[in-house]
Amino acid sequence: MKVRAARTLAGLIAASGTSLALAQQPPPPAFAPSNVTQNGVRSMAANCAACHGTKGRPAAGSAVPPLAGRPQGELIAIMGEFKAGKRPATVMHQIAKGFDDAETAAIALYFEQQR
Amino acid sequence: MRMDRRQFLKAGAAGAALAGMAGCAATGGSAAKARVAVVGGGYGGATAAKYIRMLDDGIEVVLIEPNEAFVSCPISNMVLGGFRTMADITTPYSGLARHGVKVVRDSATAIDLDKKQVRLAQGGPVGFDRVIVSPGVDFMWEALPAMAGADAQNAVLHAWKAGPQTAMLRRQLEAMPDGGVYVITVPLAPYRCPPGPYERVCQVAAYFKAAKPRSKILVLDENADVTSKGPLFKKAWSELYAGMIEYRPNSKAIDVDVGARTVKLEFGDQKGDVLNVLPPMRAGAIAAPYITANRRWCEVDWLTFESKAAKGVHVLGDALQIAPAMPKSATMANGHGKVCAAAVVNLLNGESPNPSPTLINTCYSMVSDKLAIHVASVHKYDLNDRTFKAVPGSGGVSAAMNEAEGGYTMNWARNIWADTLG
Repeated sequence: MKVRAARTLAGLIAASGTSLALAQQPPPPAFAPSNVTQNGVRSMAANCAACHGTKGRPAAGSAVPPLAGRPQGELIAIMGEFKAGKRPATVMHQIAKGFDDAETAAIALYFEQQR
Repeated sequence: MRMDRRQFLKAGAAGAALAGMAGCAATGGSAAKARVAVVGGGYGGATAAKYIRMLDDGIEVVLIEPNEAFVSCPISNMVLGGFRTMADITTPYSGLARHGVKVVRDSATAIDLDKKQVRLAQGGPVGFDRVIVSPGVDFMWEALPAMAGADAQNAVLHAWKAGPQTAMLRRQLEAMPDGGVYVITVPLAPYRCPPGPYERVCQVAAYFKAAKPRSKILVLDENADVTSKGPLFKKAWSELYAGMIEYRPNSKAIDVDVGARTVKLEFGDQKGDVLNVLPPMRAGAIAAPYITANRRWCEVDWLTFESKAAKGVHVLGDALQIAPAMPKSATMANGHGKVCAAAVVNLLNGESPNPSPTLINTCYSMVSDKLAIHVASVHKYDLNDRTFKAVPGSGGVSAAMNEAEGGYTMNWARNIWADTLG
């Protein structure tokens, strides 16, 4: 009896531990649908400017590459390589993963159009 | 917000010319459709001012800032290390004029929401249709009673607002004899620039290693552990500066004996040769009416950065009650400025703001003169919780300290300075 009671108790503790752990898991984020309208893309691409310069034009002599005026296809391909870990990176492999394919394509087109 | 007397005297006429109602002092002859006043020309405010003008040059933008030039907190630790000069981290405000931003060198003393005016210390009031407040942080001196006076604050420095104190702290380090002890205290998070204190330790250690190798560094951290890039900083400390740095977590500074150069802790006192005390922080004083969280920080609607306490007032940068995993960093404030600028332009044109804003944070720390580490993150807007959240699977830190990122650090700085002010 004692053994069984102990087992039951242990089972209860384990079960409650599991349900507690489940309850403590934060729900996955419910992100707003991406906005690839002109305003939305301009706003997303503005983030890139902190490192790559306003509208993708870095300061003279910058080691951070320019984005303005580069073909959309080239930028999409590079972002894909960053995401896949196939291209050497310092921060871009981590940042590329924050954007889905539609967002990446829209941002790349925005920079192609900055001439 | 403090400013010195000489700056008050220089501020004069430009402010007076802008007195009056919104729209009266338009740029280029034609009447502006609206005027936005921006209080504070740091990473948040200056970026917002520039981006509003880039998005809609029919909106007049007046930036109110007491300092003659922008001095960057990022890279300022390298001035302490002796690897950069004050000139290297200083950028004039003149670049904003090219975008048609009017820079008024004055100090905002109050925001009058009935009259829709920012009152200034020297000049006449600046009228606005919307106001953006980006005041950075103020120090909670009440947490360290003996630090209340100017004499104490000029003797025991924070150097946590880049500027005169940065140069003063460098001079204190230069004057310290070899074999001396530099003591830095770190307040409980959240505070401006989570990795900043630990980067500063690296920079001071790099200077000591080269110039005063018998000297020691004592880190008194109120936090339970290094608050950002912890394993990377600890590795840098042990590998680059072996035997030089002692780290004491859970060490809360409660006061300073300025004369005895001693930090008073909850448990025991600690003497040093150079004391560098970072007090707890809150939103800058001009934003006090908009503080809604813990009597320290301002909460906003993250789609517009409009204050939860006052309509028509937008708050940016380090003064904010942060979203989950969002640091009080320069890149973040620069991003706040852009989301806010776009929303303000939308609102003044009768349009809806972007329902799906994105922010990216990239933050480098120099662990020596050449080696750096980073933390990066991507943040998107969560519909249920109405806040920014980090995108799962994105972001991260450096695998190890490295020279490539050391090079990118200065490039990042030059580009964000140009993006903010150029």
